[in-house]
Amino acid sequence: MVRTKRQQQDIAETTLRSSSRRRAREEPEETLESTHLKGRSGRTGTSIRLDNSYSEYDFPLDDDAQARPAEQETPRKRAKPSMAPTPSLNSVISTPRGRKNKGVNVVTPSRIRGTMNGETPRRQRNDRSARRKSARALIEKVVAGISSDEEADEDIAREIYKSSEEDELEEDAAGGHHGEEDTEEILGEPTTPSGISRGRMQAKKGARTRKKSPTPPRDLPPHELYFVQNRPGAAKTSNNTLSSLKLLTHEEYFFLLRDYKDPHEADIEFLDSIHIQSFPQWAFELSQGFSVCLYGYGSKRALLHKFAKHMYDTIPNHSNHRIVIVNGYIRANMSSLRDILSIIARAIDPKQKLAAGGPFVMMESLKGLMSAHDITITVILNSIDAAPLRRPGFQSILARLAANPQIQFVCSADTPDFTLLWDSSLRSSFSFVFHDCTTFSPFTTELDVVDDVHELLGRKARRVGGKEGVAYVLRSLTENARNLYCLLVGEVLVTMDDEADSLGENPGVEYRMVYNKAVEEFICSSEMAFRTLLKEWAFSPQNL
Amino acid sequence: MASSERIEEAYEENQHHAAYIFDPSGDADDTTRPAKRRKVSKRLDESETPSTNRSSSFQCLLQGAESKQAMKSRQETFEKLWSVVDFRIHSILRETNQSTLQEVASFLQNAPDHTPASKIPSAFIITGPNIASQGLLFEQLSETLQNEASARVVRLRSGDASNLRAVLRKIIHDIVLRDSTDGDEFDLTTSKDGRKFLNYDLEALHTHLGLIPRHNLVIIAFQDSEAFDSSLLSDLISLLSSWLDRIPFAFLFGVATSVELFEARLSKSTCQSLYGDQFDVEQTASIIDKIFKTAIAHSEAPISFGPNLMGNLLERQREQVASIPDFIKSLKYAYMCHFYANPLSFLVPDGLNSGTLQPEHIEILRCLPSFRRAVETAVENKKTFEAKQLFDDNKLIEYLVDSLQKRRQWIIKMLRILRIFTANKAINTSFADVYMDASCNGVGLSGQYDQFFDSIKRMEPCDSEGYLTRVLDTMRQGDRSLGLDPWIDEAPETVALLSDILDAIKRLRSDAEDKGHVLRSKYSGQSKILRTTVVAQKVQLSQDTAALTDHDKSYTDLIHRFLEHLKDVMHVEGAYDMPFNEVWLYDSKTPYKDVFIPRPRNVLERALSRPHDYLGCSCLLYRLYLETGSLINAADIWSAYYAVVGEDNEDGLDERTALILFYRSMAEMKAMGFVKQSRKKADHMAKLAWKGL
Repeated sequence: MVRTKRQQQDIAETTLRSSSRRRAREEPEETLESTHLKGRSGRTGTSIRLDNSYSEYDFPLDDDAQARPAEQETPRKRAKPSMAPTPSLNSVISTPRGRKNKGVNVVTPSRIRGTMNGETPRRQRNDRSARRKSARALIEKVVAGISSDEEADEDIAREIYKSSEEDELEEDAAGGHHGEEDTEEILGEPTTPSGISRGRMQAKKGARTRKKSPTPPRDLPPHELYFVQNRPGAAKTSNNTLSSLKLLTHEEYFFLLRDYKDPHEADIEFLDSIHIQSFPQWAFELSQGFSVCLYGYGSKRALLHKFAKHMYDTIPNHSNHRIVIVNGYIRANMSSLRDILSIIARAIDPKQKLAAGGPFVMMESLKGLMSAHDITITVILNSIDAAPLRRPGFQSILARLAANPQIQFVCSADTPDFTLLWDSSLRSSFSFVFHDCTTFSPFTTELDVVDDVHELLGRKARRVGGKEGVAYVLRSLTENARNLYCLLVGEVLVTMDDEADSLGENPGVEYRMVYNKAVEEFICSSEMAFRTLLKEWAFSPQNL
Repeated sequence: MASSERIEEAYEENQHHAAYIFDPSGDADDTTRPAKRRKVSKRLDESETPSTNRSSSFQCLLQGAESKQAMKSRQETFEKLWSVVDFRIHSILRETNQSTLQEVASFLQNAPDHTPASKIPSAFIITGPNIASQGLLFEQLSETLQNEASARVVRLRSGDASNLRAVLRKIIHDIVLRDSTDGDEFDLTTSKDGRKFLNYDLEALHTHLGLIPRHNLVIIAFQDSEAFDSSLLSDLISLLSSWLDRIPFAFLFGVATSVELFEARLSKSTCQSLYGDQFDVEQTASIIDKIFKTAIAHSEAPISFGPNLMGNLLERQREQVASIPDFIKSLKYAYMCHFYANPLSFLVPDGLNSGTLQPEHIEILRCLPSFRRAVETAVENKKTFEAKQLFDDNKLIEYLVDSLQKRRQWIIKMLRILRIFTANKAINTSFADVYMDASCNGVGLSGQYDQFFDSIKRMEPCDSEGYLTRVLDTMRQGDRSLGLDPWIDEAPETVALLSDILDAIKRLRSDAEDKGHVLRSKYSGQSKILRTTVVAQKVQLSQDTAALTDHDKSYTDLIHRFLEHLKDVMHVEGAYDMPFNEVWLYDSKTPYKDVFIPRPRNVLERALSRPHDYLGCSCLLYRLYLETGSLINAADIWSAYYAVVGEDNEDGLDERTALILFYRSMAEMKAMGFVKQSRKKADHMAKLAWKGL
């Protein structure tokens, strides 16, 4: 109610809202002072005015919040801290009058300011002379600290004040010369003592609910932005689909990618060269028993490969210091951990084979093997946070590996939240030293771009099962069948190469020849077995 | 050229392998060569130890102007000094657990005698939340137990225990493997009668133990017992207790919370088969304090750390990690940084290496702010001659060595003062805080020292007596943990004065007691009487000074004398005022912060939202992404993307090229966990990350 007026004045003054707010911010000091001065007079008015002026700039950014009814309901709670210095006020505030007075005095600061600024008088202002007078009477009484036996007069003054308020409201509603904001203020004031036009207001409310603009205000702090973007029911998106767009196929993707030239190549190279400068530092950290972890946006595979080269060049004796590179992003290899460990074992001693078994057993025997040799292994792991390595068992094995003093461990991490992979004990056994290595270079092998995007869009991937599918099938086969497949694919590729010049559409390989080769490599012993194996691949011999 | 191409090829090929050995020199005879080489290398290794391996890890500083020799001496200094510090820290760590170790060992040794039948003796070790340092504790425990109680210890971590079978396998395997190292291999798969055991059959363990005459405990240590699956743990315990008549088991539980909570997780029947005692381990905070004293504040610590770094480190310890290995690593890293990046660091600890100083070094020395300040003060004090002398390089070096050697005296002086300071029980700031403040700002007559003097002023006679005794004791004994030798001989007059005062106070007290009143000083609280009067319904408080007796006056005099003396003695300058402090003072928290507390998400967001910090381009899709709501329409974001990138703009891309870039970016966003598939609508994605949160 009261705020309505204020808004109008602000408009009238043609001052920016912010400036008036700034002034409002200065006010509490005044009011606070006056509270202390006049507190003992037993007038609750001043103290409550204080509350309201607080509530006004508590939510300076958000008009909705200002008008919320909750605001009106809570002043007493909020009042307490500011009341604290004068204990007598606390008892006063609980008297029933407090609430009644509230509406009256809130307005005073702005009104006083209005007169002081000497703006041009307007119709409303002139009409309000009685009201102003009564308000002034009220203020003066408070200032003078007159005791409350003149209550009758005061009540009259209050009465005048209130009625003029109502008048004004009606004027406002009828006049409609104010902005949307103002009306909203009116509507948002449910505790108005005025009995009039409830129905009218509500009718208006329906018509004038504030349209939420789809673009949030700029430069919101992150948490605000989160709530703005997560408003209930706000997730309105258009119904456009990508149906008009021909989605990329793998072939097209790779074909186009080959021709695409990144305009930032020079910049990326420059960035790389900066990272390369810190190679010796990393090497030093590694030599001191730390593990190095590189993070930041962009693929770090090429960088790590360069680092491997750097290490290789600086190693004086390659037989007791070897480098193993592990690609964590390789998908669908359930046995990858086993692969990694056995490769490391091979790096230690090519003749030795690790005992088969669970990774823990392998790790133990690897440890034994390492302690038997005087050797340092640098393990370079690309994408430690890649999906295949995210299972907890993997990380603890890796941590053990990294904790071994003979292992120097370097890894890269691509996702922003990779640190969540490790608990404190894993982290301390990794003993990581982190470096920001933002490379901006594209993830080429790490990601299967087309499949990923199609999955993201909920489309069926074109390739059935993709790499996972192939790996799954291959894994489920016998050794011989796999070898035969290897042979077959090799043969087909050779023929394709040969026939590339001629116009062979469907290159074929000769059945007899494949069979002979298979026999030579001990894949199968009889033609019967050969045919059975071939059936796995659903090739009927006629196709050959 | 050709070879480099081949390497590139190999690189491209290898990117699809899960793992491979990096060997750019070609892999023609990969399998045979390393083996051959090793034979040669072993001989080499004995002569030229790892030093050759590491020699290249340091770099020549001063834009390469630093000589190899200086670089080497820097590295050697680092290795030498750090190994000393490291050794001290580790001996501290070993010591701290010693008493617990003894208790546990004696408990377990005597356990078979006093444990009721069919109960498993178990020791519950309350380790506190510091999981990371449990490793060391249990390592020590198993060592001690193996040596002293000649028991067999199996250490289990929750990670090892995926199921009962795996646990049993590990237990059996560990025990058998340990015994078999010193003799021929035991075949644990067959029993005497040729029957085969499964590898998780405890019978195998039983027969194995039967082969060895000694009958000793088999101790199973659960390092992080709370992390074990509780049903698995119950099963395991009941299974093992059923074997108790054949194999003498005992348990060690590392408990992070409390025994009660741990017990609540086990079934009742399981709990009943345990018979145990509780052992406490020294908590992290006090260990950190000890490490601080030995490694940082120690009188022989070669380099000092400034309050910025140390404050940061300690705060992180207190509030976040609370792990001792991490603390030690951070310290080590600080050492590494200092020696790696500071070209003058080879002069630490006492400038004896000054022979390797190069002209460049001397130039740097002259430019050091601390040196300049020292010269300026010399000039101000009209010591122009001395200042001029420093133009001569040799004089400068002399001065350098001199001031570096003064550092040790400075440290000792400061530590002594701090000991006197902390002997006062009224001061309750931690030693670390006091040390940091003192080493940075020096000790003067301000700040908390005021409080200190005040508290002495107000001391009751018995307190001051105790305090004086403590100070004298400290002087007499020194402080081993700080590397402080007794300095009673060095300050005879102080000692004389203090003992004088002490005796006088004692005498006064007994005199006063004889006369039947309590001795007090002018300042002690009781000399003031609080008087409450009610005047005109107002409460008035007033203080009256009680009359002092002669004894009190002379006591006050004594305290005055003591204070005077302390004020004279307790004065030392801060580290930053020492000339050439740059050589041995390290106080930069940025590398520490960057390296140990990474903020990968911020870095990523920064890279994507403001790529011009790194490159001269814009990551458009991410910006569009930031503007979207929680549900993203792929079609819309694509059209927005294309509208910016596409053909209509200058140097725009054609649709298909734009599309591949779009695809690539989308895949990257998915990989980084920014979006995921949403089934709410066709072609929609759900947003998963908000910037800055």
